[in-house]
Amino acid sequence: MSSKSFILKALEQTAIAPQPMPEINVAPRVDDLIGQFETNLNTVAGVLHRAGSLDLVQEKVNTLVAEGKQVISLVDGINANRETPEDQHDLKDIDFAVIPGELAVAENGAIWVKQPEGHRVTPFICENLLLVVEADNVVANMHQAVKKLTLDSGKFGAFIAGPSKTADIEQALVVGAHGACSLNVYLV
Amino acid sequence: MSHTASKIHADKAAIFCKDEDRVNWHSKALWLLREKRDRAASSLPEWEQLRQLGSEIKLHTLTNLAKYLEMFEQNCQANGIQVHWAKDAAEHNEIVHGILSHHQVKKLVKSKSMLTEECHMNPYLEERGIEVIDTDLGERIIQLAGQPPSHIVVPAIHLKKEEVGELFHEKIGTEAGASDPTYLTRAARAHLREQFLSADAAMTGVNMAIAEKGAVVVCTNEGNADMGANLPKVQIHSMGMDKMVPNLDSAAVLLRMLARNATGQPVTTYSSFYRGPKAGGEMHVVIVDNGRSNMLKDKILAESLKCIRCGGCMNTCPVYRRSGGHSYNYTIPGPIGIAVGAQKDDTNSIAWACTLCGSCTQVCPTKVPLDKIIHHHRRLKAEAGNLPYGKRSYMPVVGKVMGSAPMLNTSMAMARTALRILPGSLLKPFAGAWGKYRELPVAPKSSFEAWYKKNRS
Repeated sequence: MSSKSFILKALEQTAIAPQPMPEINVAPRVDDLIGQFETNLNTVAGVLHRAGSLDLVQEKVNTLVAEGKQVISLVDGINANRETPEDQHDLKDIDFAVIPGELAVAENGAIWVKQPEGHRVTPFICENLLLVVEADNVVANMHQAVKKLTLDSGKFGAFIAGPSKTADIEQALVVGAHGACSLNVYLV
Repeated sequence: MSHTASKIHADKAAIFCKDEDRVNWHSKALWLLREKRDRAASSLPEWEQLRQLGSEIKLHTLTNLAKYLEMFEQNCQANGIQVHWAKDAAEHNEIVHGILSHHQVKKLVKSKSMLTEECHMNPYLEERGIEVIDTDLGERIIQLAGQPPSHIVVPAIHLKKEEVGELFHEKIGTEAGASDPTYLTRAARAHLREQFLSADAAMTGVNMAIAEKGAVVVCTNEGNADMGANLPKVQIHSMGMDKMVPNLDSAAVLLRMLARNATGQPVTTYSSFYRGPKAGGEMHVVIVDNGRSNMLKDKILAESLKCIRCGGCMNTCPVYRRSGGHSYNYTIPGPIGIAVGAQKDDTNSIAWACTLCGSCTQVCPTKVPLDKIIHHHRRLKAEAGNLPYGKRSYMPVVGKVMGSAPMLNTSMAMARTALRILPGSLLKPFAGAWGKYRELPVAPKSSFEAWYKKNRS
């Protein structure tokens, strides 16, 4: 017998009575969504910029490039100084990545980033991350977020809430573990 | 941590308790997490509603597990993911080794996975010439120290920063005497980045597996799972079959509670959904039983599979906080470790590493009735004739005495008299381990029964 059949057969003897799937109906808090998002983003060590348009993002990228930083942009209309390399390992010296976020979640400061153009590892391998989200795409909570996000077959997506962090040494919070060391979110 | 020949919980806890300052420090560090959890939970008015939903979603999935596992497999395959089934730890390790040797993998970067600890996978692969690098900072620390994790969320919680500094100095060349967490974390970041960039394959655990989508969800704060899975060609995800949920809506409910209940964060920094391999890569999922279907055959033990591994029960447990994670004769410590590990415990002692205070059950985000399960384990052990140390001989006597009113009254009267007239030094030995850290009580003048008859009847 294959292990799959063995397991499925064993499961026929489950002792608990079948339970129905509950209806998930949690009331969202919709007052001041952007304010809620900003508060929670701060809690997870991210920074919000109410940019209003892409101009402010381009201005920031220009400053970074002028400082000699390696910047890659996957946001249409934002120009930087690095192109997507063929091998994802060559992203290792990227200082800043500018990536679109599909949704922002007010209750916890997370942003849904779907599989970026180029390499999946881009939002994680860069030293610093800039996410660009449309102000209309701030939703109240995770229940609403999962209803709206796209996750196509064969693809990848992640909720990113702040820069990477750890508290594994004596519970001391250190920002910048393996992923990006800072996160700036631009609402446009 | 010190090593002992005895695997009995009380013996190993006694070693941890020798260093009173460390015990107090350990207890406080975990209580801090518990306080953060309370603040996060109380900031959501719908917290109790979420717990109820979490419990019902998990129960629904467990009672339809065969259906969801098959749906998951089918959808994974449609997404280009290869699915493997392992009935036990040995088969899990063989499957993983098979994939790795097929690709001639020499170095594997691994994210925290309690399942691979449960399967003792690292030594298995290392014996076969594969270098396994744990990439979660806490896991890397204990891997370098040659220790198992002592907590499922904060695996190196038992170590002080000076000890980590000394270890890093020796193993990765940080400055001697350095103990600043930021400095040490930065050094580990640089050291592990080299590992990520030179690995041939990556492995992660699974927080949730979504049947309807054929996708797995992996949660970390450090980003190590994503640095791992998205760099080398091969990614492997190892999942206990209890990690199944029906759909994205269910995952949303659990994601709202996981980090809040673990560390008090509103959500983990990265909650990543993998629904297929990266371009030119391979993605494998290994579904593992290893005793889980057996637990489902007992309706009380079955509820322990509702657990989402937040570690909240450990942080609140008065026994765990004062005995350390290494005192449990199982990979997973604390209340949930007893619930899922007591059957495999050959010392038959961990089911008693609990005061039955019930705090764990109160904080559990999916309402796993931990105290009830632990109590049930004691009954199962007793019925199988597997009571630990002295209990087998004296518990039947205690049962007889307590079952008979005259015998109980007589013995309590004797005890009250003895406590009044005999010196403590003479009586203390009779209190056994109980008396070790406690003073004997002051005897009341009469029995409760006599008091009740006089005042209330």
